[in-house]
Amino acid sequence: MHLFIDTHLNDIAVILYQNGKMIKKEIIKNVKEHSRLLMPIIQKNINKNQLESIIVVNGPGSFTGVRLGVTVAKTLAYTLDIPIRTITSLECIALSTLEENKIVGFSDKNGYYIGIFDNDLNLIGDYAYLTNSEYEEYSKKYDVIYVEDLDYKKIIDYALKKKSINAHQVNPLYVKKINVEK
Amino acid sequence: MKDIKDIYILSIETSCDETSIAIVKNGNEVIALTILSQIDTHANFGGVVPEIASRMHTENITMVLEETLRKAKMKVSDCNAIAVTSTPGLLGSLLVGVEFAKVLSYVYDLPLIQVNHLIGHIYANKIGDKLKFPSLALIISGGHTELVKMTGDYEFEMLGETQDDAIGEAFDKVARVIGLKYPGGPNIEKLAKEGNNNYKLPKMANDESYNFSYSGLKSSVINLVNNEKNKGREINKADLACSFQITAVEELTRKLEKALIETKIKNVIIAGGVSANKYLREEIKKMCDKYDANLNLPEFIYCTDNAAMIGAAAYPLYLKKDFADLDLNAKSSSNIC
Repeated sequence: MHLFIDTHLNDIAVILYQNGKMIKKEIIKNVKEHSRLLMPIIQKNINKNQLESIIVVNGPGSFTGVRLGVTVAKTLAYTLDIPIRTITSLECIALSTLEENKIVGFSDKNGYYIGIFDNDLNLIGDYAYLTNSEYEEYSKKYDVIYVEDLDYKKIIDYALKKKSINAHQVNPLYVKKINVEK
Repeated sequence: MKDIKDIYILSIETSCDETSIAIVKNGNEVIALTILSQIDTHANFGGVVPEIASRMHTENITMVLEETLRKAKMKVSDCNAIAVTSTPGLLGSLLVGVEFAKVLSYVYDLPLIQVNHLIGHIYANKIGDKLKFPSLALIISGGHTELVKMTGDYEFEMLGETQDDAIGEAFDKVARVIGLKYPGGPNIEKLAKEGNNNYKLPKMANDESYNFSYSGLKSSVINLVNNEKNKGREINKADLACSFQITAVEELTRKLEKALIETKIKNVIIAGGVSANKYLREEIKKMCDKYDANLNLPEFIYCTDNAAMIGAAAYPLYLKKDFADLDLNAKSSSNIC
């Protein structure tokens, strides 16, 4: 069984996946204290001895949210000694749209995370974070796609084909600069 | 009767800028301790950047565990409980340790124990069995200045605390004003050795409570530096560091002395990062000798933030079966009583 964890923004998604099927799917919307909920959800729904691998959305998104998911996922993978794979929040959106144009993005309070993909879902350039005013200009030139309902089956199938990573090396992708980096 | 079993606690501390994991036996013997300090990174910014501290904890924490287990020649499953600092500290940093601890508790079916960081500093004295009751504990760090009476394990009575800045905070701010690099406290101590007490700084809050106040002293140093600058005069940094340190420590000693006289307690503990200051240690030692009081100081390595003290503080909670659930959350501020 494969465990998928996503805590990159307001929601928590914990999915148990086996043989192309989602066996359990816990999605909690607009969570305030992610850290209170994540481990109890995992404890309640999952038999740790049956876990074969972990998939975690490693950002970008809320710094604290992403860090929570990644810390839990890498520690699970390390202690259970099972493979871990990462997928980005923007890859998840790109996988969930049928549009040809794959400029995808989503907003937090102060701006937008943007990713541009080709049809084979290769990232073109780097992920970017635009402030609200930068985004206003940007969206005049380009259509940015956002998908609310993610296609989790497609996301997990895609992630499982990726190479696994040494758990020690699994880290969040923050993209947005913090003050001291500017 | 069964033999009393040895208890091994795997403990985690990430409340500020050290990622630390330890294995502590029976609350008083350190089997292994790893401390990964981020100080060099934060020094570039002149102080701890909370977001960077949290990031580095997540990057390093599984490796710090591996290193600790290697040193101890143990597995997590050889331990009896997982303990973690849940408060007080930087929220983002605490959260990494708390989540990490919860996963270990879940994967290995071990009880989870939440530990208060300040109580951890006091229990650093358990390592080597130096904690005796009743005791007066002076907790001095970047965030705290508290005088506490302890009558037994986890039995605290607050005598007094700072009404504004913590002593360590005052050290750091004064260091910045006179142009010393982060970390300010140790640098003031170093510089003070080269100076003389030539600056007249005002005595501190002259009240007879056990409370402290460090913002007045801090402001008077800042004003002095600015006035001299405006007059185009150079300050003697070493002398100022010396005068500041003497004044800051004098107040601690005075209140502690008052407590020794009034409570007639004969054991004194100093805990927290500022307890690493050697001048302070000497002054308090002199005063304790005057009253035949035992001064208990943790070994140097257990003075600053470390996970061994968390394992020591967790042990009485383990015996009481005071365990936390997996919905445990971190809290940035709290007192010990």
